[in-house]
Amino acid sequence: MSLSRRSFVQTVGVGTAGLWITSRGREGSLFAQGIQPVQGPAPSIILSSNENPLGTHKDVLAAIRTSAFPEAGRYPFATAAEVTALVAKKHGVKPENVLLGCGSTQLLRTCTHVFTTKTAGLVAAIPAYEECADYARLMGHPITGVKLRPSDLKMDLDALQQASKGAGLVFYCNPNNPVATAISGSDTRTYLSTLMKASPSTTVLVDEAYFEYGTMPGYETMIPLAVDNPRVVVARTFSKCFGMAGIRIGFAIGHKDTIAKMAAWDGVGDINVMALEGAKAALAVPDAWVTAEQKRNEAARSFTQKWFADRGYTPTDSQTNFMFINVKRPAREFRDACLKEGVLIGRDFPPYEKTHVRISVGSMEEMQKAVQVFEHALSQPAKAA
Amino acid sequence: MSLTRRRLFQRLSTPVQSAHGEWISARGREAGMMEYGEQGMAQGAKPIRIASNENPLGPGQHVLDAIVGKFPEAHRYPFNAKQTEGALITDIAKRYSAKNENVLLGPGSGEILTHAVRAFTSPTKPLVTAWPSFENPRDTAKKIGTPVREVGFDGKLRIDIAKMVEASKGAGLVFFCNPNNPTATVHGHSAVADMVKAIRAASPDTMILIDEAYHDYVTDPSYTSAIDIALATPNVFVTRTFSKAYGMAGLRAGYAIGHAPTVKAVQAFKMPYGLSTLTLGGTIVGLADQAHIDAEQKRNTAVKAFTVKAFADMGVTGTDSQANFLFMDIKRPAAGFRDACRAAGVQVGRDFPPFEKTHCRVSIGTMEEMKKAVDVFKKVLGSTTTTSSKDRQ
Repeated sequence: MSLSRRSFVQTVGVGTAGLWITSRGREGSLFAQGIQPVQGPAPSIILSSNENPLGTHKDVLAAIRTSAFPEAGRYPFATAAEVTALVAKKHGVKPENVLLGCGSTQLLRTCTHVFTTKTAGLVAAIPAYEECADYARLMGHPITGVKLRPSDLKMDLDALQQASKGAGLVFYCNPNNPVATAISGSDTRTYLSTLMKASPSTTVLVDEAYFEYGTMPGYETMIPLAVDNPRVVVARTFSKCFGMAGIRIGFAIGHKDTIAKMAAWDGVGDINVMALEGAKAALAVPDAWVTAEQKRNEAARSFTQKWFADRGYTPTDSQTNFMFINVKRPAREFRDACLKEGVLIGRDFPPYEKTHVRISVGSMEEMQKAVQVFEHALSQPAKAA
Repeated sequence: MSLTRRRLFQRLSTPVQSAHGEWISARGREAGMMEYGEQGMAQGAKPIRIASNENPLGPGQHVLDAIVGKFPEAHRYPFNAKQTEGALITDIAKRYSAKNENVLLGPGSGEILTHAVRAFTSPTKPLVTAWPSFENPRDTAKKIGTPVREVGFDGKLRIDIAKMVEASKGAGLVFFCNPNNPTATVHGHSAVADMVKAIRAASPDTMILIDEAYHDYVTDPSYTSAIDIALATPNVFVTRTFSKAYGMAGLRAGYAIGHAPTVKAVQAFKMPYGLSTLTLGGTIVGLADQAHIDAEQKRNTAVKAFTVKAFADMGVTGTDSQANFLFMDIKRPAAGFRDACRAAGVQVGRDFPPFEKTHCRVSIGTMEEMKKAVDVFKKVLGSTTTTSSKDRQ
């Protein structure tokens, strides 16, 4: 079997037939049942889940020992209130503008629950991170997929605008997983202001999971806009830059009325105290460290992107800690070849699974080793491209 | 949601939380409410937290060591870790001679209860629950427009099983908390088995959820877990948590056991990666050490006996507690008692209507904590008109 996960097909939307919204890690449900996706020895370089290859920030781990362990037997609601206030302070908003989640995953589900209905559905780019679409499907709410711009695999804002009218929720993943491209702040604001007028009951969820890795001029957070606009919510996560994917915490920022609606459906009871104390420590990490982490990622990313580009394999303009590259052959072929040499890369992302692969950015050392493996994989003639 | 609880919530919560109007759905929401209102507390001293039915000792060192052992994998998603959710599921299944397909995990059993209500009830398929009981299923039902049928208690504040069976006809889900929180009472295995049979006869399509959050604290010889019933009977499932005797309320892990179709129906609602890699590491090690849990039961039983006797000496009695908390008939409103205890540095449980005029729930802390708490209880109960004659001598 391929590494592709639970998937679903919808035939709705802007001229999209057989559309398949894929996930940031639908792997979870299969793995949870003890089904192993790959045979043979564990890969030595994991470039499949857009994690921070350096591990969890040391201050986070220290805080878990010193602050979370003594409280491990207690329900952490009071700590959640403290973290809510700290997130608010960090982003210059009020605590009433912040809702924590068990990873941003919980917040994506909550938004989909609260803002979509059987008649006002979900709209998202295809492909985009799957959680909202998966949840909408669970609820039996309609899903509309909007194809990316073929030229650069960025979200097609005109088509998205058209499809968004009458939607309950637009999932606006920026930068977009798995394609790694981002939309500038000014283009996002134009999209949002047009939509606000054209579709008065639509809410937009801007997922900024990869915010810290965006480097292009003009890329901006929508947090300041969301705080004032009851119909825009921003989701963030500690999973990526701070290396906390296994610890599970994220947050949403929005207008107090929007946050109140979300909190009324699902609260903070699923968040563990290690995540909360870890988040406190992460929030105290100096901005200079975040900048250095961004630079580290960018260096390894540029090295790898250039390596592919030099050989005629075009990457998208990545603004994240992963790359989406046209390897001119089925992802499965390339992936299997890499795995044989101990490098695990991303799974299939339809409708691009016949040409593109998603590769997370590891450390520079890992990427230098990985490109040797990629070299071997690409040296084999494509069988089914 | 009762008005009383809402008032308490507003009074004690921070502006943050009340601004959200948030429904805290995990067990022990009291922890939040109580601690938000520290200004009501005695200055300086650390409060004695006996409001949320937590294990005051927390997890054992073996659990914390296992978590530290997972630090090198904390940056990986839980499904990329060496021990995934599948590893914990396998261990739980083995423990009960079940298959992996019989086991469902949640970040605390709270999520499982929420999702069970979503999976099995609807505006036309009511929820049946004792009341008061653990409130998550009832709160969830109200959020999604499911009617709730509330069932009362017998003279010993044990859930009225005959009424439960009667109310089950045409219901989507029966929630049976055993031991019941907040009344602390339990039904024995044969009573539970008979109830299951009766419900299945009266209403064959009704799902039966038996919540055994306090299982590890029960000492009543007539009680054993209903997991055997769940594995032998369709439409019956049992929830357990690591939040109580295992001392891991902060780590967020619980599980359900039942027939595969039941597990699958609830699993459809499960949030992906809800259990952290660290939590998985801790629970796997915690589950393997039954001696630690047995010792915790003994410790709780001893401290509970001390506390019950101290109350008796004050002329105060309660239900037959089979949990790590007491439900005491203090013969006066819980609110006044609670506020007075709080001012003296002791946090006790919130109101549980319709018993809020007479009963208070007190969790079992450490022996040292309960000795201090009992002194406070004596002062508080002795300072009002209902002081027992013995205390006046």
